This record gives sequence, C-alpha cells and structure tokens, in this order.
Amino acid sequence: MNDEMAWIVQAQRGSDEAFTVLVEAYQTPVYNLCYRMLGEPEAAEDAAQETFLKVYQNLARYDRERSFATWLLSIAAHYCIDRLRRRRFVSFSIDEDEDTPLELPDRSAPDPETETERRQEQAHLHQLLQSLDPTDRAALVLRYWNDCSEIEIAQALTLTVPAVKSRLHRARRALAKVWEEETPSAHTERMPHESPAF
Amino acid sequence: MNHRPFEDWMLDDTDLTPEQKLELQAHLRVCAQCAALTDVNLVLREARVISPAAGFTARFHVRLTAQRQAQRKRMVWGFLILVISGVSILSWFAWPLLRVVLDSPVEALSTWLSYLLSLWFWLQAVGEAGAVLLRVIPTFVPPYFWPLAALAFIGWSLLWALSIWRFAKIPQGV
Repeated sequence: MNDEMAWIVQAQRGSDEAFTVLVEAYQTPVYNLCYRMLGEPEAAEDAAQETFLKVYQNLARYDRERSFATWLLSIAAHYCIDRLRRRRFVSFSIDEDEDTPLELPDRSAPDPETETERRQEQAHLHQLLQSLDPTDRAALVLRYWNDCSEIEIAQALTLTVPAVKSRLHRARRALAKVWEEETPSAHTERMPHESPAF
Repeated sequence: MNHRPFEDWMLDDTDLTPEQKLELQAHLRVCAQCAALTDVNLVLREARVISPAAGFTARFHVRLTAQRQAQRKRMVWGFLILVISGVSILSWFAWPLLRVVLDSPVEALSTWLSYLLSLWFWLQAVGEAGAVLLRVIPTFVPPYFWPLAALAFIGWSLLWALSIWRFAKIPQGV
C-alpha cells in the first residue's frame, strides 16, 4: 500500500488529519481545473472547496481499485460542468482584473519581452477556452494541464474513449479557428522558431 | 488546401520521423489553418498550472465545520418535525377513543376487559389446534421431506443474499 492509499484509508476511517493531507496534495490540480473551467478565481475557489466537500462526504464510496486523482478530478469536472450549464444565460467577463491570480514572470525565460508575449498568449488562450462547450473544455484541461490519458478522461467525464478523442479534436480545431481569426499575424511571426511540439 | 495527413498528425500527437517533420514544416509555411493548430497546441503545452491563494486548507476546514453545524441543525429540526407530526397524527386518530373514555370511563374499561378476555381465549384455542396439528402432521410427511426443505431454505437464503449484494454494490462517481 503506497502513502497516498494509506492516507485515503485513514480518511475513510474518519481521520480529518489524513483528509487534510489529501487536500494539501490535490488543491492545486483541482483549483487549476476549476479555474480553467470557470474562468474566474472566486468561482474556482468556491468550486474547488465544494469539490473537496463532496469528496469528504462520499469518500466511503470511493473504489480503491480506481485512481484517486481521476475520481477527484471527475467530481471537480462534473461540478464545474453543472455550474456552467446553470449559468449559461449569465454572461461574465473573463478579462484579467485585479483579482485574477497572477502568473508570475518566469525567471528562467530568455528575456522579458518573450515572457510578456507568452503571458499575453496564455491570457488569450484562457479567454478562448471559455468559448468552448463545457465538456470539451473539461476534456482539454484534463489532457493538457492534468496530463490525463484518453482513458482517464473517459472515466472522469463518463464518456467513451472515441468520444473523448473526438471532443479533443473538435476543441482544438475550434480554438485554432478562433486563434487564426484573432491573431492573423501570429503565423508569420511564429514560423521562424518552429514548434518544439513536432 | 488539403490538410491531410498533417492535421491528423497534430491532432493525434503522432511521433513524427525526421522526413515527416520536414514535410509538416513545409506545409505549415503555407497553411495558416494548420499553423494556428500548431500555435494552439504549443500554447496549451506551455500553459502554467494556477495554484489557489495561500490558506486553501484552512478555508476548507472553516467550510467543513460550517457544513457540519448546518447538517446537525437540519437533523435536529428534522427530528423535531417528525416527533411533532407523529404525535399530532396519533392524537388525531386517538381522539374519538379518548372522548369515549372521558365520557364513560367504567363502560370503556369493561368493554376493553371483555375484549382482552375474548382475545386470550381465542389465542388459547389457536394454540391447542396448532399442537394437535404438530402431533398429526409428522405421521403424514415422508422422512426425506425435512432435509429437502432445509436445502431449499438454504438455497433461497443464498439467492437472497447474492441479490442484495449485487444491488447494493457501490456505484462510482458522484
């Protein structure tokens, strides 16, 4: 039995201390998922807290054969999707404001200009994410931020693996389309330094 | 413009050979659509993980305590409502009986006593009839019936336990 499983077992037996260790360990991935899903720091904080409350209440139902991280992220993703569906008629601004968590400049970045440009791109991406269907967005966030495999995403979002694949394709195509429309100069500027992704 | 197979390579995150990489780079120089897909892929890969503000766990404990208190309050209220409504319903049903008792207590008492006595005699009669039957039935039942009946009982019990276990299996996800 690994350390994490030992904490889970203790938490299932009612140890608040063990559950605190789990909250400490998973607060960042859960918060990040909620933030990328909901687009606002306050809403993300609230959703992450609610996720841990749900986990606390349903810990007895957790099947130890499954990955705890996937189960936890599944609860967070479903909570955010429900919340987005409930507020679909309420529009909100996701422009960066004073309350937005700061993405601190990367000290290892080659120069401040590149870093500023990168941060602008990140802010732009964050904005674009909000235009996606909630389930597509959740699939994308789980894939890129949480490094989940397609099988894990399928388990977390209660989808089939082909459906996950199709949603990921659709989401990236949609993002690329808006990216192309909104940043027409990006292509010519980016080409000299080729993508390290390929 | 034909985006195949470049788009598939990018969407499937295919590991490319050096020749395929060169082909893809040549395509990206002339295709803005695929270049945008590359850009998005790159930005997604570089995206940072955002952490919550400091003190997340402490805030969680505050919320958990508040939720426990609210739950306790709900339980107390639920219990009170249950008791009050139970007492009210019982009183409503018992009211006609209470009225009879209050109007003529001696008559009500004698009625109840006669009812209890007749119930006692009836139970005695049933008991005696049962004892007679128990004495008579074994002479008609073949001896192999009893082990068969015991086996059938065990089988049904196992089937019942199995079905309960299957239906009560904990589902995952919340």
